[in-house]
Amino acid sequence: MIAESASVIYLIQQVARQDREAFGQLYDRCSSLVFTLAMRMLKIRSDAEDLLQEVFVQVWRQAGNYSEERGSPEAWIMNIARSRAIDKIRSIRRMEKSFALTDDPARAESSSTVESSAAQSEVRITMNSALANLPESQRKVLELAYFDGLTQTEIAERLAEPLGTVKTRMRSGIQRLREILGTRGA
Amino acid sequence: MATEHENWLAQGEIYALGALDGEELREFQAHLASGCAICDAHIRQTRDSLTLLHQSLSVMTPPVAVKTRVFDQITPKIQTPVQAQSGGWSAWRWWLVGAGALAAAAVVLALAWSLTGTRDQLAKLQAQIAALQNESAQKDQLIQFLSTPEVRSVELAGLGPTPEAKGKLFWNPTTRRGLLITFGLPKTATDKAYELWGIAGNEPVPAGVFIVDERGQARFQLPQLADGRNFDKFAVTLEPAGGVAKPSGPMVLLGSL
Repeated sequence: MIAESASVIYLIQQVARQDREAFGQLYDRCSSLVFTLAMRMLKIRSDAEDLLQEVFVQVWRQAGNYSEERGSPEAWIMNIARSRAIDKIRSIRRMEKSFALTDDPARAESSSTVESSAAQSEVRITMNSALANLPESQRKVLELAYFDGLTQTEIAERLAEPLGTVKTRMRSGIQRLREILGTRGA
Repeated sequence: MATEHENWLAQGEIYALGALDGEELREFQAHLASGCAICDAHIRQTRDSLTLLHQSLSVMTPPVAVKTRVFDQITPKIQTPVQAQSGGWSAWRWWLVGAGALAAAAVVLALAWSLTGTRDQLAKLQAQIAALQNESAQKDQLIQFLSTPEVRSVELAGLGPTPEAKGKLFWNPTTRRGLLITFGLPKTATDKAYELWGIAGNEPVPAGVFIVDERGQARFQLPQLADGRNFDKFAVTLEPAGGVAKPSGPMVLLGSL
């Protein structure tokens, strides 16, 4: 019997020993976070559900690889989720590029709409959250990288900004997040 | 020590964000591979800070069924007779359809006897039986197709100009046959039609042309596809009515296997 208050680290250690009850509790604790991230990144519910399944199957199989030195367990799980989601996003983007065989304006419009469909996502940024409190220019580059899987060069092209400016905004945004995290932890 | 690392640390933050690319990415990966503990720790701290980003999203609860699927997948499989498992549902449907057809046939025969009928009437009734049997056979085929263990279901989501459209494709990769059902697609002009594509890697393969009814719905049975590649995605584009060999119009539906 595992106490309800068991830490996520303890749960992962138990999962590494193939403890299914601990795995169930870990899933209950973290699945909403993973699913929310997956919905924000992939935007298609069935794809987000598939990703959630893949992530937790990987957690079950690789829990033994986790150690506290690798950061918080939540960050470890979310990093698995993000990596898998980025792979899927980039695969779709490559496939969409291979479809762009003509200069049909309707197609160009369609592609840009798909790529900028963040606004159509079911997932919204909560008011007064860390992200909502960042300056717009910093928030934008962090969102494009973190949720849409764009690289620094792709972001610079998308925003028609110099690469150096994009890098500076990313680092300033990350610095601001670090300050917010420090304030919360204090 | 940290100042010596200023440039690496800056790149490490962008690396943790997943946005580092090109030559900078290769150089930084090589630096990490050299065993730099400072950068390694900095990346971990940055990733912890980045968790604030997804914590900024309004939380969505996943369907309970996903947890069941996860536990199913991590549970070692015990061999069970496939026939017995799939037989229950399909057999039930089979008997239902069969009973319906038999009942219809019995009614027709009773009528035929009671009328001591003319040839015309008998011919008409026989035609009805044939129609019923044909309909029944089609339903049998559909049920048989859907209950085949190899059949996989793919949800297609609306893109670009038709974000509200949806589709569901039932695909048997073994027999190369499938059934597509769509909802919410706009009716096409007479010189246009929708074309389905199976996608292997990044290569689109034409899988048939269809149109939708007034309600934007279609039930389209794919022709058996000769192309033997494994499809990992399916997409629908708007094309000229006769279909094209390579996609040229906007993509309206997309889904992954």
